[in-house]
Amino acid sequence: MEIAIETHNLKKYFDEIHAVDGIDLQIPKGSLFGVLGPNGAGKTTIIRMLSTILHPTDGTATVLGFDIKKEALEIKKRIGVCPQELVLYPRLTARENIHLIAQMHGMAKKDYKERTDDLLGKMNLLDRANSLVKGFSGGMKRRVNVLMAVIHEPELLFFDEPTAGLDPQSRRVVWDFIRDFQERECTIILTTHNMEEADDLSDELVIIDHGKIISQGTPDELKGKLGEGDILEFKIKEIEQRNEIIERAKSLEFVRWGKPVGKHRIVLNALDGLRRVSEIMEVIKVKMEDISVRKNTLEDVFIDITGRRLRD
Amino acid sequence: MEKKMRPKIIQQLRYLTIKNFKSMIREVSQLVWIFGYPLVFILLFRFGYGLEVFNIFAPGVIILAPIVLISQLAGHFAEEKESGTLQRLVTTPVSRSTVLLSGLFSQLIVAAVQIVVMLLLTLLFGVSINPNANIFLLFFIPFLVAFTSLGFGLILASVVRTASSAGGLAWFIILPLQFLGGLLTAPLLDFIPTALAAEAMGAVMIYGSTAFDPIGLNLILIAIWGIGLILLGILLFRRKTAIL
Ligand SMILES: Nc1ncnc2c1ncn2[C@@H]1O[C@H](COP(=O)(O)OP(=O)(O)OP(=O)(O)O)[C@@H](O)[C@H]1O
Ligand SMILES: [Mg+2]
Repeated sequence: MEIAIETHNLKKYFDEIHAVDGIDLQIPKGSLFGVLGPNGAGKTTIIRMLSTILHPTDGTATVLGFDIKKEALEIKKRIGVCPQELVLYPRLTARENIHLIAQMHGMAKKDYKERTDDLLGKMNLLDRANSLVKGFSGGMKRRVNVLMAVIHEPELLFFDEPTAGLDPQSRRVVWDFIRDFQERECTIILTTHNMEEADDLSDELVIIDHGKIISQGTPDELKGKLGEGDILEFKIKEIEQRNEIIERAKSLEFVRWGKPVGKHRIVLNALDGLRRVSEIMEVIKVKMEDISVRKNTLEDVFIDITGRRLRD
Repeated sequence: MEKKMRPKIIQQLRYLTIKNFKSMIREVSQLVWIFGYPLVFILLFRFGYGLEVFNIFAPGVIILAPIVLISQLAGHFAEEKESGTLQRLVTTPVSRSTVLLSGLFSQLIVAAVQIVVMLLLTLLFGVSINPNANIFLLFFIPFLVAFTSLGFGLILASVVRTASSAGGLAWFIILPLQFLGGLLTAPLLDFIPTALAAEAMGAVMIYGSTAFDPIGLNLILIAIWGIGLILLGILLFRRKTAIL
């Protein structure tokens, strides 16, 4: 297995904030590697270090075999970065913004012109290609933001929350677009706090919190750790009694675990939970405001480890 | 792994400069300012106070042109810093210095155009120029002042957070340079670049002089100002946008 990215004890401290706190990664070439974590977990900071625009406080990392400190230029020639914020020149057109990145990489004019139009077409932007970006909607800007990362056919792509703020339809377009690169053996690092996105796209992923890896594996492995059960989520009024309620539920032998989440919710993992909702309700004897039953998701993995939701 | 060639710096510089130009030309309000502000004074002196006064103040008004550029340059670099585009660019194989250079380069081209336009306008409005006046110096003196503007603009862009505050704060540099340098009045501080330039410009335009003092000497002093300010500006800007 060839390695695209390797980090040892990678750290970034901003004064007393430990944004990234000792990360060890081995990312195989050609894989789509997800980095899932809540706001402030350190996802962007990791990407900024690996794309050589931020120096680590401690630790080492190589990207495509090059050291991030000593061989930054070699890395820059081979990567594409889609930043979390919309970083575009507002008074350039969509086409000009994309061309600029290709020009910085020294691509031949004929190649980047053709490719730009091809990419704009895939993102349904061809009819606005010559409009100034400042007049674009947020979703259109986001799609240009993505295209600027890929125009030069990089070997390695960093996507930092590429679908934040997109409607479901545009999100699908971007997902399909990313899958396209996956098929072309490009290595992709994708950060997100959208568990569906992480689950659908990643070959392998890490969940990070407070700058540390708290779990790692394929989406199925991670969900498998929670067992076969279904997830039942209750919204309740009696918040003071949450722990007793969970204990009562756990007295049922098919309830595998339970956790309080946020202020008003309880999450239970129960085998065959869907059919047994009424049994559980009988035992825990509280007024529910709301109840939902679902399959294990990556969010539940996060809840299981931290007792928090990804987005609170 | 095989080493990839570094893209040619000259090409990068060219494309970045074109990019800067497009961005500038499409920001109409800035263009109105940098051409409009000196033009207002040309019109005021020529048609408000009459030709006699115009003849005396035309040299100073032309020096005013490259000074107004401080607001545009500071705005340009502050925008590049604020919006994250500089960060985005340096994830590609282009160096911070090339990006910086392209910004300075584009402004110098704007300055050259602006100076020529202002010179032609003063001529068009009938200013009397000494027949022995050296045409090259008439262009070169304000052009040298443009370098000090680059320095002031960069320093300002380094210390402010946003492009809009850079554009506004620039006037706290432009107006003192204008008034203390005596571009439209009598100079109060005769060692500042605007005062030096106005004196030299007047000597060339009105008296047709080519004497070392004031012209050569003042040019050297302005150049020292320019080099000092630009170096300080580059240092500050690089530090403020450095990789942490
Ligand atoms: N330049 C900086 N100076 C100071 N603190 C910073 C800086 N950049 C990031 N941080 C801090 O580091 C932590 C991690 O930030 P980071 O942007 O990496 O999180 P993230 O996982 O990308 O979050 P989000 O999902 O909100 O994008 C945060 O607490 C943030 O405040
Ligand atoms: Mg982030």
